[in-house]
Amino acid sequence: MNQLILQQGLSKELADFPHILEFVHKKNNTIQLNSFSSNVCDCICLYYILEGKFTWIIDSMEHTLYPGDFAIVLPRQCIGGQSGIMNIGALFWIKISIEDHSKLLLGKWSGLTKKEKISVNQILMLNKEQPVLKLKEAHTLMQNLQTELLNEEVGFYTRINQLLDELFVLISRQFIRQNNSRRDFPQNFLKLEQTLRQNLAHQWTVEEMATLIGMGTTAFTEKVKNYSGFSPLNYLIMIRIAEATKLLKKNQVNVTEIALNTGFYSSQHFSTTFKKLTGYTPTEFRKNNTTDQ
Amino acid sequence: MNCIIIIEMGTAAVKVFAFDLSGNLISSSKGHYPTFHEQNDHSEQDPEQMFITMLYILKNLLIEKIYPKKYTVSCICFGSSMHSLLAVDKDGIPLGNAITWADNRGKKEAAELKASALGEAIYKATGTPIHPMSSLIKICWMKNNEPDKFKLAKKFLPIKSYIIQQLTGACVIDFSIASATGLMNIHTLAWDEAALNFAGITSEELPALHPVFYSDLTLKKEYQRVLKLLPAVKILVGSSDGCLATLGAGVWGNDMATITIEDSGAFRIIGDHIIDDPKQQIFNYLLTEKHIITGGPTSNGGVIFNWFTKQFGDFQKAYDIDQSMDELIQEAATVEVGSGGLIFLPFLHGERAPIWNPNARGCYFGVNIRHERKHFIRATIEGILFEMYSIGRSLEKHRHIKGLSINGNFASIPLCTQIIADIFNKPVSTLSHGDSIGRGAFLLSATEMGLYPSLEEASKTVNMHQTFYPKAENHEIYAQYFRVFESLITKVADEFNLISDLQQRYS
Repeated sequence: MNQLILQQGLSKELADFPHILEFVHKKNNTIQLNSFSSNVCDCICLYYILEGKFTWIIDSMEHTLYPGDFAIVLPRQCIGGQSGIMNIGALFWIKISIEDHSKLLLGKWSGLTKKEKISVNQILMLNKEQPVLKLKEAHTLMQNLQTELLNEEVGFYTRINQLLDELFVLISRQFIRQNNSRRDFPQNFLKLEQTLRQNLAHQWTVEEMATLIGMGTTAFTEKVKNYSGFSPLNYLIMIRIAEATKLLKKNQVNVTEIALNTGFYSSQHFSTTFKKLTGYTPTEFRKNNTTDQ
Repeated sequence: MNCIIIIEMGTAAVKVFAFDLSGNLISSSKGHYPTFHEQNDHSEQDPEQMFITMLYILKNLLIEKIYPKKYTVSCICFGSSMHSLLAVDKDGIPLGNAITWADNRGKKEAAELKASALGEAIYKATGTPIHPMSSLIKICWMKNNEPDKFKLAKKFLPIKSYIIQQLTGACVIDFSIASATGLMNIHTLAWDEAALNFAGITSEELPALHPVFYSDLTLKKEYQRVLKLLPAVKILVGSSDGCLATLGAGVWGNDMATITIEDSGAFRIIGDHIIDDPKQQIFNYLLTEKHIITGGPTSNGGVIFNWFTKQFGDFQKAYDIDQSMDELIQEAATVEVGSGGLIFLPFLHGERAPIWNPNARGCYFGVNIRHERKHFIRATIEGILFEMYSIGRSLEKHRHIKGLSINGNFASIPLCTQIIADIFNKPVSTLSHGDSIGRGAFLLSATEMGLYPSLEEASKTVNMHQTFYPKAENHEIYAQYFRVFESLITKVADEFNLISDLQQRYS
């Protein structure tokens, strides 16, 4: 098949799809200087390698991609070829814009529910340091996208957005599968714990936690209880209070800020929870245990 | 009705037990806390999370299980794993995380000290083998590698002392935990000057030393209130997991030993005097000044079978690792004794007793064309248990042992218990209660409260559940394979160091 380059504003095929900035199926037969120089993305860029060997620098890490590999580059991440060149070979890429002022990567075009969009978001953000996946299944999806865009058969509008959703679901599941071996729940749980600690202020739900570990909510809750002795939310409270204790002892941040930083929705909520467990209000606790650094 | 509460700060979780005064378990509960491995050889835990988790579990157990049954708490006793170290500043605030027993960052410091005459003298005085696990080596590492933190540190505590200090305000340590720090002179029952000098600290920087029965401690008012405890509740400083497990294993008497195998494991005997080992292979920890727990620990217990299962277990059908492990055990049971001559050295984590070599590595030896997957499964189990036997033999040089009592989730698998009996050629008993640490802490508390006249008498109340007898023909086979196992370890000693260096360089 010949190569194909569709660009928003230039190609009529994309007129109905303002979120698709580019869809490209490229065969690169020559090496040219500055053919792929490093740039910071302002959209989601997805690459699927068909032939050849590509060496790229993504966020200052070098990655070598082979056929069947898939790269996901998110807004504000940086990508370019090694020495600024595009290697010889064949690949697909697609660039998808994100909506202004939206925290979510997937825009209104997506048929996923809000919860699902949040989950996809979290998974992609958490894995942005490993932007390359083995994802052979993406080949068919990319081919189907191309066919739908070119043939414009009945239902193509819905079909194309569905294929994009399917692609994002596939990527998310692959990340989870790659990160969470069923063999090692303790290891997966430790990773989850580290993720929770990195963003304690977030109002985590059990669904979100279960998604990160690649399990259904019920099985996840049961497994966590069995392993840790706590329900997932109580385990989270435990981490929050432990973290708050450390901050209280340091005497640098005020109590309200500690409450919000560690995920309590108000200083009142923090105070009640803290006192129920420790017998002290946070302020009393601080008075009894402080160090001036 | 009165009850006794045991709080055990274990490696992976806190366990809280409630016993009535006759020793019946009323209820128990556990709460997990994580271990962080930020760097190779590092193993740390968050002291605040451990404290909060303990508090939460304790409070819920009391309010949901104990008070509704009209029990009053008369005593709270502490147990914990050994060798942990936490540095705190002048206000008692932690400087970073607690370092666990499994941390190997002080490999270099330990190797240097061990090779010196000073090392030999410190081992003799403290009873703790020179190894990165000990507080002595950890403090020395901090002095050399984190001088700023070392300067800020005003006290060096095991995690149990930190927990008790949070609850009561007192900075204390019991003989059992102290005798495993490598800093306490087990002959004079005081901090050892030579060890303190080596670590670069004074006894002021360590908690006050007390016998395991010490109870001059009062719970802070706030905790009395949230836990709904009376001001008169007795707080007993308690002992270490190893000493308590030995007490709770009912092996008092000079001809019995106990084997514990969980993730790691140990072989222990109890006696009235310190056993001096010129080869420095064994530890001497104090339950009391008259009751010495002597033994050797392995780093390669159930954790190795766990590794094997993760790599080679069947996860197509199995729901989780426990199920997959059960299937492997069943398969291993179908293989002949000795795994058709396949021998496994289990040193995936390096090894402590008896070789004390952090560079030791694993090895399958004797593989031939007829060996199948199932032989590897059984060989893995037999290798772990052969290693326990080699620790046992280093103790048998000092004590004649007639029978064994086993505990821990790996040793209690019936197939493993039978193999232990066959390898040792001794009867092996399992305990009728599940947790020998909790049981040991109960016996300790009950003795302090005058319910038993002595620890000896208390220990006699432990009931054995089932005894596995050795099969002579199996022992004969194991004895021959063990000779190969043992000589193999000596023969590849140099290669352990070479391969470990290469592994460090290239991975």
